[in-house]
Amino acid sequence: MLTYEEIMLLITALASVFSVIAVYYAIIEKNLVRAVVFSAIQSTIYAFIYYMFMAPDIVLVYIPVAVGLYPAVILILISKTEKVEKQ
Amino acid sequence: MDFSIVQTFIIYILPVYVVAFVLYVIRALKGPTISDQVLAIDAMSYDLAAFLVILSIFFREPILIGTAIVLALWIYALDIYIAKYLEKKEVGE
Amino acid sequence: MIEDLLVIIGMIMLGIGAVADLIAAIGLNRFKNFYLRLHAATIGTIWGAFVPLIGASLIAAGSPCLGVYRWFVAGGGLAIAFLVLILAPAGSHALARATHRSGLVRVEPCVVDHLNEDMCVKEG
Repeated sequence: MLTYEEIMLLITALASVFSVIAVYYAIIEKNLVRAVVFSAIQSTIYAFIYYMFMAPDIVLVYIPVAVGLYPAVILILISKTEKVEKQ
Repeated sequence: MDFSIVQTFIIYILPVYVVAFVLYVIRALKGPTISDQVLAIDAMSYDLAAFLVILSIFFREPILIGTAIVLALWIYALDIYIAKYLEKKEVGE
Repeated sequence: MIEDLLVIIGMIMLGIGAVADLIAAIGLNRFKNFYLRLHAATIGTIWGAFVPLIGASLIAAGSPCLGVYRWFVAGGGLAIAFLVLILAPAGSHALARATHRSGLVRVEPCVVDHLNEDMCVKEG
């Protein structure tokens, strides 16, 4: 029988696997708006991982920067330039 | 009532929440359009805020609850940015 | 006595939230269209986030072993529940409106669409 620390560490490991998949899709995606959305998925999962490692002060700073401000700045930049990445 | 009953109950309902989060992330990763992905992230984040409050009761550390308010508020901001971009093809101005 | 009642009601609400969350996640994967998936997302935000937040507040209010700071958890849970109740339908509505106006997704099982006739895909 697993203790509850091991259960929490297994949940954290599952979350980190999905964050790696999200980063991979964000790198190979050609449509830049979809890449921003994949980056937002990765940021949300990272906030959960920081929470599970008992760092609520880092979560309080990480969420406004990585979920709020960073997609806004990147979307303003995309709307000034092109939408699709070229070779 | 003994608090260990609540902790045992939370341990038993934990896998249901985890399976639901895995299904939400699968839809957010493969959604055919941008709207599907943002909708899946939206629903997942509100449920994640509820899950964080439940975990703060389970860990018996009440100071962890401030993160859930921040998560619920800033995901709404992401939603509005993407909707504004899809409608007008620009943000800001 | 009243504290035991609060804890039992809170645990029932947590169970309802877990089941509704699973149903919403399955529905989000099984529906065919963006406008149909809005149904499942609504179940996931109201029954899957609002109800367990209220239940967590009740559990925190009824457990004296958490110390004085249990009122912090109870009040914070009520505040987050109110925010989710206000913000989640507003966000979903903004997203659906933007999707329909920009013409990203066509309305698939459609009878009539007065906003834009070209988006309507009739059956048969």
